[in-house]
Amino acid sequence: MNDSIMNHSDCPEVVVPNPVFFTIGAVSFAENVLVVVAIIWNRKLHLPMYCFICSLAAFHTIASLTKTWENLMIVFANVGHLEKKGSSETTLDDVIDSLLCMSFLGSFFSILAIAVDRYITIFHALRYHNIMTMQRTGAVLGVIWTVCGGLAVLLIWFFHFKLIMIIFVMLFFICLVIICFLYVYMFMLARSHARKIAALRWGSNMRGALTVTILFGTFVVCWAPFFFHLVIIMMCPTNPYCECYRSLFQLHVVLLMSHALFDPAIYAFRIAELRHTLRKMLFCSDWKLCS
Amino acid sequence: MSDFHNRSQTSARRSDYVWQYEYYDDEEPVSFEGLKAHRYSIVIGFWVGLAVFVIFMFFVLTLLTKTGAPHQENPDSVEKRHRPGSCLVDIDGHQDENDKAFSRPLLAGSRSYFNFYINEEDKAGVHQQLTGLIEQSKSDRECTFLSHFNIPNFVNLDHSSTLGEDDLLYEPSAILERQSKSHDKDYPAC
Repeated sequence: MNDSIMNHSDCPEVVVPNPVFFTIGAVSFAENVLVVVAIIWNRKLHLPMYCFICSLAAFHTIASLTKTWENLMIVFANVGHLEKKGSSETTLDDVIDSLLCMSFLGSFFSILAIAVDRYITIFHALRYHNIMTMQRTGAVLGVIWTVCGGLAVLLIWFFHFKLIMIIFVMLFFICLVIICFLYVYMFMLARSHARKIAALRWGSNMRGALTVTILFGTFVVCWAPFFFHLVIIMMCPTNPYCECYRSLFQLHVVLLMSHALFDPAIYAFRIAELRHTLRKMLFCSDWKLCS
Repeated sequence: MSDFHNRSQTSARRSDYVWQYEYYDDEEPVSFEGLKAHRYSIVIGFWVGLAVFVIFMFFVLTLLTKTGAPHQENPDSVEKRHRPGSCLVDIDGHQDENDKAFSRPLLAGSRSYFNFYINEEDKAGVHQQLTGLIEQSKSDRECTFLSHFNIPNFVNLDHSSTLGEDDLLYEPSAILERQSKSHDKDYPAC
């Protein structure tokens, strides 16, 4: 009697059906792989800005692959083919978590790098070519990948320390604040330039604000629930209200995965050259004619 | 006896709570008795706060467009406008930007920059003017290399509603790309 009362929760965990995870994983994997291949294939896209977008797409590819792999393992574990507490399964689970963590951190840093690159483009345009050389871009990407890999391994190995989780959450908030600042500052400069030009039209004015809101809003809406979940776990593990928030964990993970779905649409597919390359890659069967 | 043992185990577990990544195993039953507010109040509060934040940011940005950015003209910003990277033409008042952008010759000194608004109808006529202007400009080198990268997409502002895909604000025009093809060799590959 007591056991049944204790096991019953007024906020049962919301379960997202596995096909949803698999669909989102498959579609985001396809999108991001196409972006990576298109950028590598087209020599006109071998520029710093596109390298950062390529890196973002690569991290999203890893994230969607890893998440799909994890879902597969969970399906097998639920069916009974895998033992949830086995040592090899736990190690594999740690590897998956490290890869996921690496790809999530990598996507933060790539988005930050894209924002910084755009900032330098606007505010230091004359010196852009000297500041952002391909060698420096390669070095920055190398640092991002190494740091993300290292951090991910550390975070997962030492996850039971609260400090690590706090660092993870702080990292997210710092990235968020920097990205917000960069984009709003760029927007303000763009507006101050546009004001000097005659006949500003209301419809087109809205579009700039909408673009920045979408860029930043998607990042926040996809990531904040998960990080709030981490904060809740640290601060109030036994509070019933917090328990109800934690019961929505799978929905928050779906949001995380959908970030990999939205990012190509926000960053990569808005570049005309990339769209052109994708069209050539996908719809042109005879490459000799199409080149 | 076993109940007491279970309860003491539970309280012991609660005191050294370890967050495990196995979120499917919820070993921490929580009591839901005596809740004053709705169960999902934190969830609702979080999402309402997030929505308010995003909408607030959007309204702040649109207010900036109405009232003008605090980034006002000052001696420092004049220096910024020297940079042809901004590539905006200095136009007075309420004149048609298409005419003025290309009829006014670029100044060799300060405040010389382009506005790359190109209408489909004007493309041919503009081509010669642009070529001439590019050659005249002190900063044509910078202008042509700018065609190699997309200045951020989000600055597809003004006139995009009417010009649509033909609005090449801040994006390399076909004309400039032709000009800059000769510069392709200068840039190292990825």
